[in-house]
Amino acid sequence: MKVLIRRAIPITAALFVAASGYSVGAADAEYGEYLSSECVTCHRTDGTQTNIPDITGWDIKSFVSVLRAYKARERQNKVMQTITSGLSDEDMEALAAYFANLKQAGAE
Amino acid sequence: MTISRRHFNVLLGASTAATTLALPNVALAARPRVVVIGGGSGGATAARYIAKGAKGAIDVTLIEPAKRYYTCFFSNLYLGGLRDYASIGHGYDKLASQYGINIVHEWASGVDRDKREVVLGSGGRVPYDKLIVAPGIDFKYDSVPGYSAAASGKMPHAWKSGTQVQLLKAQVENMREGGTFVMVPPPNPFRCPPGPYERISMIAHILKQKNPKAKIIVLDPKEKFSKQALFMEGWESHYPGMVEWIPTSVSGGVKNVNADTLEIETELDTFKADAASVVPAQKAGAIAAAAGLTNDTGWCPIKPESMQSAVDDNVYVLGDASIASAMPKSGFSANSQAKVCALAVRGALTGSKVFPARYANTCWSTIAPGDGVKVGARYKAGEGKIAPTEKFISQTGESAEVRKETFDESFGWYDGITADIFG
Repeated sequence: MKVLIRRAIPITAALFVAASGYSVGAADAEYGEYLSSECVTCHRTDGTQTNIPDITGWDIKSFVSVLRAYKARERQNKVMQTITSGLSDEDMEALAAYFANLKQAGAE
Repeated sequence: MTISRRHFNVLLGASTAATTLALPNVALAARPRVVVIGGGSGGATAARYIAKGAKGAIDVTLIEPAKRYYTCFFSNLYLGGLRDYASIGHGYDKLASQYGINIVHEWASGVDRDKREVVLGSGGRVPYDKLIVAPGIDFKYDSVPGYSAAASGKMPHAWKSGTQVQLLKAQVENMREGGTFVMVPPPNPFRCPPGPYERISMIAHILKQKNPKAKIIVLDPKEKFSKQALFMEGWESHYPGMVEWIPTSVSGGVKNVNADTLEIETELDTFKADAASVVPAQKAGAIAAAAGLTNDTGWCPIKPESMQSAVDDNVYVLGDASIASAMPKSGFSANSQAKVCALAVRGALTGSKVFPARYANTCWSTIAPGDGVKVGARYKAGEGKIAPTEKFISQTGESAEVRKETFDESFGWYDGITADIFG
């Protein structure tokens, strides 16, 4: 049979900012994990850091607010400004939830 | 209809009923097989992400001849004495023990794409459902008249890291007092666009300490190069009068190199070197051409949304070997492409979700200890190409503080990406 590659599934804010807070369902966790693959080229996931901050286990609101500040160019790192230019608010929330959970899960 | 392997695995994955199938060996044998050729930034990342995401539903085999992989990125920092050699070497034990990847330390000598089998140097065959080809580069030795694989023992290209870089370091450190180092960078396109100029910076750094009257002559086949204003500013401030960059419009081009006498002949002059590095023109690693994946450029065309080969839907090509449009040939690019490819391969084999491709690259370069610069971009898969959506580059005249931050950041990146590649 023909193998289909499923295309993008639009993610809406409602999926993440649900009544239950910022909890992420299993399907959306996949999206957060995929987005996170861009971050972990530089940020380690084992809770250690060398010159590049550990971003696991952050408070979700702080995480999103820092990313927004990079996107608005209020924070100065050019790599972070460029990466965040491609992130919507929903993307940032998915990432925040993913990295918060990573710490809870005992990291990788 | 018959149940395809894909359906079978989806069923397995979707239920907790594996035990009720009563035929676990059959289930194991039926796992879809991914074979990855090349254990560098592209190949090892793809193997790790597929194994990690599939959680046992895909059988992943990585074919890489080297038991220990020395990264090309940061090999210049080893050359400059800023890193020791052991610190740029990485093994595959975690990919095997933590992710269950089969590691085969052999050369892949061919691919039978009709039978979907990789042929090993030993004659063995490894069957695949999806193949990922990430062989890096090979050289067009005859692009520099007089140069050859044998000549690289005397005038190292040192462009695949490893022992060639050790050889080059020894040659630079043993130059006579006040001697001349000559570098011949490669023509476009090539692995690591800022690499030759970072190498010049790191050699200048060694010579400044050990042999301050020595000179560096760069005989470039190009008229301009990556981060040119930044490097030239840095050479003038850190190594005044030491580096002379001569483009082809001035030299007339390299007409011949003699590895025995270390003479490099151009139309302008014949340069007698005390040590030299010659980096010839490049092409995709040999297995890519053997597998029929290259076009007349010597590189592999791909589909931008997935890194799938343009000539075979069962094959993906990653990193330096691919024609990735605006993305430079870098370890960072290959690592980024590998994650897009891993998602597409998992989706094709197990029906897992596939999201739109997101690509990024950053190239850090060290001009002197504590003086780092960077260039980078985000990219999206467009019609027939990968196009940048946002770009940045360090600026000339930046403060020492910013340069120190960038330098320190590059060390953090090295730790991050090598953990992401090798586990």
